[in-house]
Amino acid sequence: MSGDLTLTEKLRRHLPWITLVSVLLLVGLRDINFLSPQNLITLSSDVVPLLIMATGMTFVIYIGGIDLSSQSIANMATVLATISLPALGVGSALLVIAAGLVSGMVSGVVTTRLKVPSFISTLAVGGIALSVGQYASGQQALHMDTEQRRQAFGWMTGQTAGVPHILVLALAIVAIAWFMQVRMLPGRTLKAIGAGEPVVVASGIRADRYKILAFALSGMFAAIAGLMFSVRLSGGSPTLAEGFLLPAIVAVLVGGTPLTGGVGGVLNTLIGTMIVAVVRASMLYFNIPATGQQIFFGLVLIVAIATTIDRSKMKVVK
Amino acid sequence: MNRFLAMETLRKWVPLLVLAGLCLFFTAMNPHFLTPRNFARIAISSSPVLMVAIGVTFVILMGSIDLSMEGTVAVCAVLFALTLNALGGSIAGWGWVAIPVALFVGAVMGAVNGLVHVRLRIPSFMASLSLGFVGIGLSLLITGGDRILIDDPLFRSLLTVRVGGFPLMMYAALACLLVAWFIQDHTTTGRNFYAVGGGEDLARASGLNVGRLRIIGFVLAGMFYALGAIFAVARLGIAETETGRNFMFMSITSVVVGGTALRGGEGGVWNTLIGVLIVNVIGNGMVVIGLADYFQDGVLGLLVITAVWLSTDRRSLSFVK
Repeated sequence: MSGDLTLTEKLRRHLPWITLVSVLLLVGLRDINFLSPQNLITLSSDVVPLLIMATGMTFVIYIGGIDLSSQSIANMATVLATISLPALGVGSALLVIAAGLVSGMVSGVVTTRLKVPSFISTLAVGGIALSVGQYASGQQALHMDTEQRRQAFGWMTGQTAGVPHILVLALAIVAIAWFMQVRMLPGRTLKAIGAGEPVVVASGIRADRYKILAFALSGMFAAIAGLMFSVRLSGGSPTLAEGFLLPAIVAVLVGGTPLTGGVGGVLNTLIGTMIVAVVRASMLYFNIPATGQQIFFGLVLIVAIATTIDRSKMKVVK
Repeated sequence: MNRFLAMETLRKWVPLLVLAGLCLFFTAMNPHFLTPRNFARIAISSSPVLMVAIGVTFVILMGSIDLSMEGTVAVCAVLFALTLNALGGSIAGWGWVAIPVALFVGAVMGAVNGLVHVRLRIPSFMASLSLGFVGIGLSLLITGGDRILIDDPLFRSLLTVRVGGFPLMMYAALACLLVAWFIQDHTTTGRNFYAVGGGEDLARASGLNVGRLRIIGFVLAGMFYALGAIFAVARLGIAETETGRNFMFMSITSVVVGGTALRGGEGGVWNTLIGVLIVNVIGNGMVVIGLADYFQDGVLGLLVITAVWLSTDRRSLSFVK
């Protein structure tokens, strides 16, 4: 397969990490301290919730769909984690993960069984998650009790030998997601669905079930992202994770998983997230105002889609 | 009578029946719902959304989608307010220029949207979503996060002056609806929207320049978003980035609930009027019967899923992404 790839195809495959290295070098030239291990570790652990959310979203984009509900699910997760912490302790994590999983499954069922396009179904489920978050929180910012938080999630916020535990945890989660994508049947099936769904259906595979799985995973990862964010900020609110959706989609697409699905995957998203993190941090070095970020990432998104999308899969562009 | 046809006729009238049913339900729960004052309240909250929803109706008729309205509305609102204040602060003087300026800005943003979608061949939901983010960033950049106050009494009369119990804003919105209906039903461009939505291959085969038509659709949508922005500013007397908030969910839900099919070629601006009223009657009715307004997003979510589900002819679809 790799033998008959054209030069541009090969280049496209390696573009994400080349981009990452060049961006790092560019900022490093400006300020060499940026490349110090300590700074890079801080940078990566700051971006952990985004990484987890983007990893989940990768599965949905991998099959050629989109998940616009991630941010609302993460918001809901911060609220649920905060209000259930006193009663459930560390068990609140399970509750939050289950809530995310169910929300994602609903999106999946609505998309596959009711045949509602995923950008609409996830938008709608996002609305429902937003309502749940607002209802549960009473529309205000909530705070975790410091002692309870330390008891239940102290292992998450600590450090060992200068490496934050949250970073290790995040990399472990990404590793599991990667293993699932590359080595396990569902992961391979998702790739097949992204590459050509009619063929998968014709081979007698219940494609719908795997698609529901992809949405469920995305919802679950979004909830985990929300949980981590909530533990870090020691609280929750129905708008806490605002501003996560754009960078998460950008991370997936810049990493090299095209909107049409089938190629790319979890490791690409890891690189994509790092690109987003470095670009974001470098904007500070180059004195670009924070409000400029959204414009910049919006434009990057368009460029990323335009260069990676597989047009042979789309007869008509709607 | 053919049973299939009967079903089709029924389906056509479902949105109107739902609207009537909702009104009856809320009146039964609380008679205060059925007062002119409350209807005026519904008219005020509906007017800006109606404009935005009409705009996106044109795009959806072609089978595309536009998710950029929050950004476009924010930019138009902010630039409208800045221009108005810079030119004397009253539309009685030179301030009226702010209105064409806002429309022009909306048209330009729509054109960029359409060009990115058509020329770069990116699916419209993603092109418009990205540009929506860009728009929100732009409006933040322009305002620096501040609010711009408008205190021109003549402009605010859209809200304050009432004729027959209803604010001027509603009559202005209805006038715009008539213009939209004229464009949709009595211009070649409007008819071509249906042609593209009904079957792009055929439209192309019969010599239509589909790409150009799509761009025109997005430009038209942008201009109606600008009108929505102007009404939203008139309603609150404030222009800020937040002005655009929630317009995406509200307008798309309205269009879909009104009976315009997401695949295109079916429905129109009158459906959108019914849809906007359904959405706003639910929002208003929930408050009237004492439910907290934060349930609204959840209810709208369920509503949109049901509406798309009911309007989809599932036999004709092999799979959906």
